[in-house]
Amino acid sequence: MEPVLTAILTVGAIGMLAGLILGVTAKIFYVHVDPRIGHVADILPGANCGGCGYAGCTDLAAAIVQGNAPANACKAASDELAQKIASMLGISVDQQERQVAQIFCHGDAAHAQRKFVYLGIQDCRAAQLVSGGDKACTYGCLGLGTCVQGCFFGALHMGPNGLPVVDTELCTGCGSCTKICPRHIPKLIPVSQKAAAFCSSHDAGKVVKEICEVGCIGCGLCKKVCPENAVEIDKFLSVVDPAKCTGCGKCFEKCPTGIIQSVVLTRDLKKKAA
Amino acid sequence: MQDYLLMIVAAMFINNIVLIRFMGNCPVVGVTSSYESAVGMGAAVIFVATMAGTTCWIIQKTILEVLGIEYLQTLVFILVIAALVQFVEILMQKVAPPLYRALGIFLPLITTNCMVFGVSVLNIKEEHSFMQTLIFSLASAVGFALVLLFMAGLRERMDATGRVPSLLRGVPITLITAGMMGLSFAGLLGMA
Amino acid sequence: MAARIVNEFTKGFWKEIAPLRFALGICPSLAVSTKVESALGMGFAVVFVLCMSNVLISAVRNLVPDKVRIAVFISIIATGVVIVELVMQAYFYPLFLVLGIWIPLIVVNCIVLGRAEAFARKNTIPLSLSDGMGMGLGFTLSLVVISSIREILGSGTWLGMLVMPEAYPGFGFLLRPPGAFVIFGLILGIMNVISARIEKKTA
Repeated sequence: MEPVLTAILTVGAIGMLAGLILGVTAKIFYVHVDPRIGHVADILPGANCGGCGYAGCTDLAAAIVQGNAPANACKAASDELAQKIASMLGISVDQQERQVAQIFCHGDAAHAQRKFVYLGIQDCRAAQLVSGGDKACTYGCLGLGTCVQGCFFGALHMGPNGLPVVDTELCTGCGSCTKICPRHIPKLIPVSQKAAAFCSSHDAGKVVKEICEVGCIGCGLCKKVCPENAVEIDKFLSVVDPAKCTGCGKCFEKCPTGIIQSVVLTRDLKKKAA
Repeated sequence: MQDYLLMIVAAMFINNIVLIRFMGNCPVVGVTSSYESAVGMGAAVIFVATMAGTTCWIIQKTILEVLGIEYLQTLVFILVIAALVQFVEILMQKVAPPLYRALGIFLPLITTNCMVFGVSVLNIKEEHSFMQTLIFSLASAVGFALVLLFMAGLRERMDATGRVPSLLRGVPITLITAGMMGLSFAGLLGMA
Repeated sequence: MAARIVNEFTKGFWKEIAPLRFALGICPSLAVSTKVESALGMGFAVVFVLCMSNVLISAVRNLVPDKVRIAVFISIIATGVVIVELVMQAYFYPLFLVLGIWIPLIVVNCIVLGRAEAFARKNTIPLSLSDGMGMGLGFTLSLVVISSIREILGSGTWLGMLVMPEAYPGFGFLLRPPGAFVIFGLILGIMNVISARIEKKTA
């Protein structure tokens, strides 16, 4: 009987002591966490994409509750989510226009030259380190899909011609693809923008003509013909101002390489077939 | 002094707790896909294993042996480890929040890690003194952390090159790599 | 109901076989698989602990508050392991010596706590029992497969009986720790291929 009693009492005592110590410690070292932070964090998408500039959704929730960030700081959240957060905390939020990513390079395998055959690690950041990448154009898309992997929302996939394609239904405009691309080729544009020159090359026209059939040569014809003065030429690259562009299409006809085009918000091709 | 040095080398390399003694494989396979999580886990394990090893030794000597209930070692040790980890977590959250944020999610994972419990039981089995317990626990945990770091680095590199055959991708190649690593560590046999 | 019980039992043998599908319970799989005999011993010990813990945890599942459930589960499992330890020490002493430190380490076997957390605390006692049995026997099956390969190729015997020709020198590498890792990795890889093929056929 005695061994049984010893065993039961000892283990019971250890258990109770442990429980006591833990309970007391939890009370003494109680960390007060504002419960609203948890609620806001639940409303946010929870992808931890970092597009807001904070270290994850919980961090942003804390910032919003403390008043350091606006309720619509999350680019991945829809307007109604931002409204929900705002009304829960009793603050107001002003609407911002949604942004989507577009790939500012049309130099696929058929139109852009390569300097050498690259057999290294299949990541654009790695390829960039090898003599500045295997593409002849130092501003063009290397096509190894780093942006596709870096997208938190699955909105990018590699197209058949070696250039990434954006599914603008899924794209939340968080900007992760821009950050992860070593050449920052995916860029965010307002969803209402009607036209853009899909090139990132600042090389002179003569150079571009040799290495890429569709790159922007900076001829300026688009700027001349635009009735709204919506086009500027920034170091041999045409840039469309979305605020002024009406989508009239006069520049499309004049462009010798066809690089300035209307912005088409593309759905995922796979989904289209389904 | 030389005994301790020998013990450290033995615990870290020759009788490496993961690769030779087989304890603590689950984190090696599960946590090593990224280098940062491996670092976090390794640091947390060093912290917990050293404390758990010494605390369990003290409990064995002062309570279990005195009362003659050594057969309850399994039950008491695991309870003590679980309570200790919880205690440390609460303390850390208040006293060192950055450390808590870095290590926090791994601490509950370590409670049921074979490695921590195994080291505590090994200390008793091999009849270590208190100092030997402290050094053995610390050295074993450092050996564990080393394997985690090596494995994470190797895995990140292997995943990046994408040349692992699909048959072996993921857990299989990790285990085979662990075997190869163990082979190189076992080459030190005969030193101690 | 009976069909469900049978289903929970059989899933442990292929669909959800723990070490080979979820990579749970790797530590003992590698450590005790040098001989089929010790593998069987470990397997049955785990079956006992799994059944006991699953049943007890299922019995108290509605009484345990959420915050302390891990501590309670571990206590129950540890008790089961202590029972196994003492019984083995008394009646199966040679096996006890061979398995050594791995008997108490059944407490931290991921399978046992994993099933308690994932299944036993949400299901009734009969289902938990059948799940425990199925998982435990599946674990034993995988252990037997691995240890058969290691023992036959490593020392030329199976369950102590010589099965390879006398001249077989024995592939010592497989009996050492590095060999265990490599063989386990290869078996896992083959499992992946087989299950992918089967899924393709049924899809």
